[in-house]
Amino acid sequence: MRYSPTLVDHFLNPRNAGLMRDPDGVGEDEYVGCGDLARFFLRVQHDRAVEVRFQTYGCGPTIAAASAASELCRGRTVDDLCQLKAEEVEGALEWLPEDRKHSAEIVAGALRAAARDHLSRGRRGV
Amino acid sequence: MNRVYLDHNASTPVHPEVLAEMLPYFAEVFGNPSSIHAFGREARDGLDRARERVARFLRVSPQEIVFTSGGTESDNFAVKGLAYARGTGHLITSKVEHHAVLRTCQALEAQGFDVTYVGVDAYGMVDPDDVRRAIRSDTIAISLMHANSEVGTLQPITAIGQVAREHGVPLHVDAVQTFGKIPLDVDALGIDALSFSSHKIYGPKGVAGLYVRKGTRMVAIQHGGEHERRRRAGTENVAGVVGLGKAVDVRARDMHAEAEGLTALRSRLIDGVVGPVPDVRLSGHPVERLPGTASFLFRHVESESIVLGLDLKGIGVSAGSACTAGNVEPSHVLVAMGVPLDWAMGAVRCSLGRTTTAEDIDYVIECVEPLVRKLRQVMPVGAA
Repeated sequence: MRYSPTLVDHFLNPRNAGLMRDPDGVGEDEYVGCGDLARFFLRVQHDRAVEVRFQTYGCGPTIAAASAASELCRGRTVDDLCQLKAEEVEGALEWLPEDRKHSAEIVAGALRAAARDHLSRGRRGV
Repeated sequence: MNRVYLDHNASTPVHPEVLAEMLPYFAEVFGNPSSIHAFGREARDGLDRARERVARFLRVSPQEIVFTSGGTESDNFAVKGLAYARGTGHLITSKVEHHAVLRTCQALEAQGFDVTYVGVDAYGMVDPDDVRRAIRSDTIAISLMHANSEVGTLQPITAIGQVAREHGVPLHVDAVQTFGKIPLDVDALGIDALSFSSHKIYGPKGVAGLYVRKGTRMVAIQHGGEHERRRRAGTENVAGVVGLGKAVDVRARDMHAEAEGLTALRSRLIDGVVGPVPDVRLSGHPVERLPGTASFLFRHVESESIVLGLDLKGIGVSAGSACTAGNVEPSHVLVAMGVPLDWAMGAVRCSLGRTTTAEDIDYVIECVEPLVRKLRQVMPVGAA
């Protein structure tokens, strides 16, 4: 099968989709090749992401990757999120076809950007 | 789970009558039609009968039909064959052609030919006057599609044929999407060469044809044996050609009644999608369009996510923009029509066929609205 059952589940039932009011960090990443976009919002308490929300514009795997990553990252430290790798996001979906690897890349990139944004705000919400 | 196939412009299932007629040509009638013994003659008979069927359908002479391996080969053959026959000069085509014509024209440009790509209006229709204005003293061919596969718009071929005739320029028409679906009269339309395909009309894949009007200056682009009156070298796909011949016969019998039913189902689909779903519109011409094609533009939703969502409901449709290896561009057809990017990226084509039912259409309508609503909830603009 082209897509894993986990990916299909996240695509059909995206978790944590939508905007966040007054987030403690916002980050975005776009894949220039295809215009896919991911935007993440973090609520941070005691240096940990206690709430993660997202918006995406893109194909099914990008939506699924964002949803899976939103669950993957909740509870983790901001410093940890600054190091988030695309491979870990892909792992949360079991696998991605070769031509959809960019879905995990932009999701990881957006989450790293959101974590960095939080740090640049002087760790408000710590 | 329901399974609904609405991608008939991509391909169609082989009609049972077609399959039955093809089957003996795999193991029983297996000779090479170029062989002079009985085994070969039997295969040749099958080939000849198919050629006669196609010729009768188009009301042309069997000698004017050349069998090929697919619509792409037919288009290559026509465009290059017309160009190479002159060796130099200017061709006219449009910006909304299938890549089989567009990229062939680009290849010819690289070889020194000049090409004019005429534009289209917001419905994807070529203005015959634009073709007239593009004609030069060194114009050697015009190549235009009869109907656009993506948006379904029918081109005003009669008027364009008149322009071509007035100027003595041969006209090639890519009729892959119309052959066997709507009436085609090559004389009335002023067509000198016409590409058609088998698998769009319930025949097998890997076989197609090109009508070439007698006297048209065209050279072969594939060389080898003496097949197809020295116009297309290579042993013919006999079983495939037999299937194409039968498919054409079935279309001649069923085409008119089916077109009526398809038009009604298409309207049912359009009414069920445009209206209940916000920010969606039909692309292509509202009236001058293929009977079974309805293409939609969903604003602010990425088309592949709609295709995947419907696929998971058992529905097969096609995306107007395809993301391949991380590269996606809106369809060149929609760009030529001037469709803004936020609409063009959400293009989805539904193409109905002979087995499509009202229940199928109602199921698709039932699935589309909640899917698009859900997708818009995660997409930035929709959620903002």
